[in-house]
Amino acid sequence: MLIIGERIHIIAPRVRAAVDNRDAKAIQEMALQQVKAGAHVIDLNIGPARRTGIEVMPWIVETAQQVTDVELSLDTTNAAAVEAGLKVCKGRSMINSASAEANRFNAMVPLATQYNTDLIVLTMTEKGIPNEAAGRAEIAIDLLGRISEAGVPTERIYFDPLVLTVTSNQDAVIETVEAIRIFKQLSDPPPKTVVGLSNVSNGAPNENRPLINRVFMVMCMGAGLDAAIADPLDKELLEAVRTVATRDTSTPVKQLMVNLCDAVANMEELDPSLVDMKDPDQVAIYKTVQILQNKILYAHSYLRV
Amino acid sequence: MPVTVETPTEKWAGKVREITLGATAAEGGTRTSTVTVGGEGTMPFLHFEGETPHRPVVAIEIYDIAPQDWSPILMDYWGDVVNDVVAWAKKAVELGADAIALTLRGAHPEVNDRSPEDSARVVKDVLAAVGVPLIVYGPGAPDKDNEVLVAVAEATAGERLALGLCEQNNYRTIAAACMGSGHIAVARAPIDVNIQKQLNILISDMGLPLDRILMDPTTGALGYGLEYTYSVMERLRLAALQGDAMTQQPMICTAGHEAWRAKESKVGEGVPEAWGDWKERGIAWETVTATSLIEAGADILVMRHPEAVAIVKKTIDQLVAK
Repeated sequence: MLIIGERIHIIAPRVRAAVDNRDAKAIQEMALQQVKAGAHVIDLNIGPARRTGIEVMPWIVETAQQVTDVELSLDTTNAAAVEAGLKVCKGRSMINSASAEANRFNAMVPLATQYNTDLIVLTMTEKGIPNEAAGRAEIAIDLLGRISEAGVPTERIYFDPLVLTVTSNQDAVIETVEAIRIFKQLSDPPPKTVVGLSNVSNGAPNENRPLINRVFMVMCMGAGLDAAIADPLDKELLEAVRTVATRDTSTPVKQLMVNLCDAVANMEELDPSLVDMKDPDQVAIYKTVQILQNKILYAHSYLRV
Repeated sequence: MPVTVETPTEKWAGKVREITLGATAAEGGTRTSTVTVGGEGTMPFLHFEGETPHRPVVAIEIYDIAPQDWSPILMDYWGDVVNDVVAWAKKAVELGADAIALTLRGAHPEVNDRSPEDSARVVKDVLAAVGVPLIVYGPGAPDKDNEVLVAVAEATAGERLALGLCEQNNYRTIAAACMGSGHIAVARAPIDVNIQKQLNILISDMGLPLDRILMDPTTGALGYGLEYTYSVMERLRLAALQGDAMTQQPMICTAGHEAWRAKESKVGEGVPEAWGDWKERGIAWETVTATSLIEAGADILVMRHPEAVAIVKKTIDQLVAK
């Protein structure tokens, strides 16, 4: 599982301030902290940055690569900023992101070819995000053909089915998991898949968000997920990833996570008899699965029912 | 050759809770009739699939003062009784109200700012005048709602009134008042299934039993969001039938309030001629709004125009007939 560290995001006030003041030390600390915690790629989100993007992106790329040589993900809709960043980027790089929207496709895909980058591709069009997995798969099929033709190798394409929130688009969550499954069957070798993980719990109470993120991650892994833009400082999340990846069944909760991953992989329901209903941690995981699979209606206090 | 086709039916794991409004003398109140709603074990009126043990009921809405902002069509119909809440309540019962929904509008700080004690007295007067159960709404100003409904709850302990509205940001005081006095809370969410469920959880967490919580999913009138209400109600009912204990509350809908806010029913002048007769249109607006909500699973309809009530009750007769 490729973890793309999400913490350098322009919406965070600390990041905004660091970018505005060109505070290299602050950015470097945030980058290093994530690398140490286990991030394989650092996402550099500078927002749309219409005016300043062509200065900010090269600055932030150079700032980050002074302290780490992990892959950098250049995250903005501003193609000129992406190109300016790629020109100075020495190591492996990723563009975040292209989509089926003509502007974004035409701007980003040639850059991925020219600069030999990984490419995140959102399965959305000008019309928005289809609610159902099949609709997103249809977009992915079209994009896969066109992007391959443009010269990007299949294994460097990361399809992002787009994660909608369980709090306001509950029925779409499981469609995202199914979309991942379909994306992995589109070609041989298959394209890669990625999700912006934390979005699934956006709007939920803070104390529940890590649990929702973690359970969703395991479900996505069952469907074949390759990468996640996520918080590498969330230790329990990374532990859940490791647990499932290494099939660690040393504790009942770990066993349940492995069972959950297997159930999704086999397109089966998670068997309730595998859940020890006397163990609050297992019950919380089970309730979260039911919420994410749209079996029980979401409410902020769903864990208390 | 004859073909036998089996009617496809769902086997549901859950059903809607039964809630009884009003308490007779034997039960600690003074009502001569009570109303029980809920208990449905199927989507609305699929008699071949499951039980609909109780018919939907109609509460007629009255105010404690003459309404200032009602459509002239309504004011013309009711005439002088709007100035006398007791007479109005009696008239509403004569015209077929299964329950009375009394809005204590006069307590609003910007209307008459009637005191909680005086408002409670109004409720007692209405209870003394009619035998049907009462639904009592506060004036619609959160702080005053709380003061007034606490006074009403205490003054009418044991009557098993429905008191509202409990909303996401203002539910504790009213729910607590219901708890102590044996009343029923009306929990209103803003056309949102998740918030509705959350509110039910929060109120029941306080200790109010689930057979004393009604849910009001917020009504949109015909042409003003009715379809959103419809799908929210449908979703809540599906969740209830699937066994989700926190969505199994019967639903109450303020069809009259919403339908008579619409331009089509409220206004008679300066509208296209093709809209036809104003009175007929207003009544039709409320009728269509209410019957759509019944089809979506409403258990209690709060309505305003007795002619619309008559049509809706006739429709209910036909829907519950097997």
